Amino acid sequence: MENSLDTALLIVGHGSTVNPFSSMPTLMHATTIRQRHIFADVACCFWKEEPSLRDALFFFRDPAIREVCVVPNFISEGYFTRTVIPRELELSGPETGRANGQVWKYCEPVGNHESMTGYLLERAREVAPGVPEREATLLIVAHGTSLNDNSAIAAKLQAEKIRQRGLYAAVLNLYMEEPPLISDWLNLTETRNVVVVPFFISDGLHSYEDIPVLLGLETAQARAESGAQEIQGRSLFYSTAIGTDSRFADVIIEQAMAQRKQVSQSVS
Amino acid sequence: MRALAQERALGDWAVKGLGCIGQIAIESLDDGTFLLSHRDDAGRADLTIHSGAEHADRLARFDDAENYRPLKTAPNLRHGWKMSLSDLEELRLALDHFYPGRLAAFFAFENGDLVTTPFRETLERQSGMYRIAAQISEEESDELIGNFCRSDGGCLRAILWRRDRIGTLPSTKLPPEKFDPGHDQAGAGGPVIPLLCQEACNLLVAEARRVVQAGR
Repeated sequence: MENSLDTALLIVGHGSTVNPFSSMPTLMHATTIRQRHIFADVACCFWKEEPSLRDALFFFRDPAIREVCVVPNFISEGYFTRTVIPRELELSGPETGRANGQVWKYCEPVGNHESMTGYLLERAREVAPGVPEREATLLIVAHGTSLNDNSAIAAKLQAEKIRQRGLYAAVLNLYMEEPPLISDWLNLTETRNVVVVPFFISDGLHSYEDIPVLLGLETAQARAESGAQEIQGRSLFYSTAIGTDSRFADVIIEQAMAQRKQVSQSVS
Repeated sequence: MRALAQERALGDWAVKGLGCIGQIAIESLDDGTFLLSHRDDAGRADLTIHSGAEHADRLARFDDAENYRPLKTAPNLRHGWKMSLSDLEELRLALDHFYPGRLAAFFAFENGDLVTTPFRETLERQSGMYRIAAQISEEESDELIGNFCRSDGGCLRAILWRRDRIGTLPSTKLPPEKFDPGHDQAGAGGPVIPLLCQEACNLLVAEARRVVQAGR
């Protein structure tokens, strides 16, 4: 990996004021990346935790840092990546020049990366070992929100990509806050075996508490390390959030590098 | 790797004798290493020793009763630990876990670059579920900020922002030293690296929303 010692990396996460584990994957990926000495500096900021996105406006005040790559550690394009992050970080587009001459480059969220499909499939296989895929339905579950129609697109795209591989009896993308709803899963699926992979960054409130309830699971059941949970004659296999995968550190770096390349190509 | 400007500044602050930040005492040793501990724990011999900045996140995240600390500048830092750090880079990483973003704010402040944002402007910028927070009245704001941000039990930051663009003080219920970046908000009166607040945090915005909703 090429060093970018005039470049800093800012990883933007959601965070939580309630759940202590929400920001941990983002912080863990930052530590991993920092130890590789690829960037001049590596920092995180969060919507609901400290440091805030507004705090990050004062980061990287070293004259040697000419570029800052901003990578949203978000699963999907949506309200946060399109509205909140640009507003709070005062980003005007893919490239934003600052008064000190620094250029902040706004990168694609990690969930848009091409490796996601493979990671989702691996998670599904890990949580339901020995379950024939042809006899199972795979549910890619995500947040979804009425605030921005783009928020569910990433999960939908992933479901389509997996569906095209013809591995599972059915592949569905379901959402917490917009149809098709996670809470309708019993009506929407036909197979006995149903594998659920939360398309989320962390095992925070949504994947740990909310979605298990929507599925009809007790929270403790969802937290069970392995095995099926029986619900109304169905065997439900529930995975941890995709974003806890340690390889997300590589994805963050690649999203940063891709944006640098893209911008330099458009300039030359 | 070359030390960043902010790390060099941190070394300068240590030389100047700014030996504390928030509830943490910073001890600079002759060999260039550093020791951190809770200021209340001075003289205790039963502290758990941690080596390396990676332990700071866990220590900062939970209080003495293992409750989650959503506000790291709240005066409820856990006790009973001492942390050994090998150099300025580790010191910066550790302090960034204990008091996220505060070193950067002070560095910008010292360089005359710290821009403050009035409370009303922060509220008016909100969208989605926080949009209604802007409906909070002046009286409610005065009460909320006076209670939520107070150094005694609330938050140890020194507030630099104003309530509105015409410069109204954030709250009449807070003492003048709450707005003094040179004051030790932890109450011990020591020379400190201040925890500066340049803009209302998300927690305060969320509280403003709660106040508006409660009044409906």
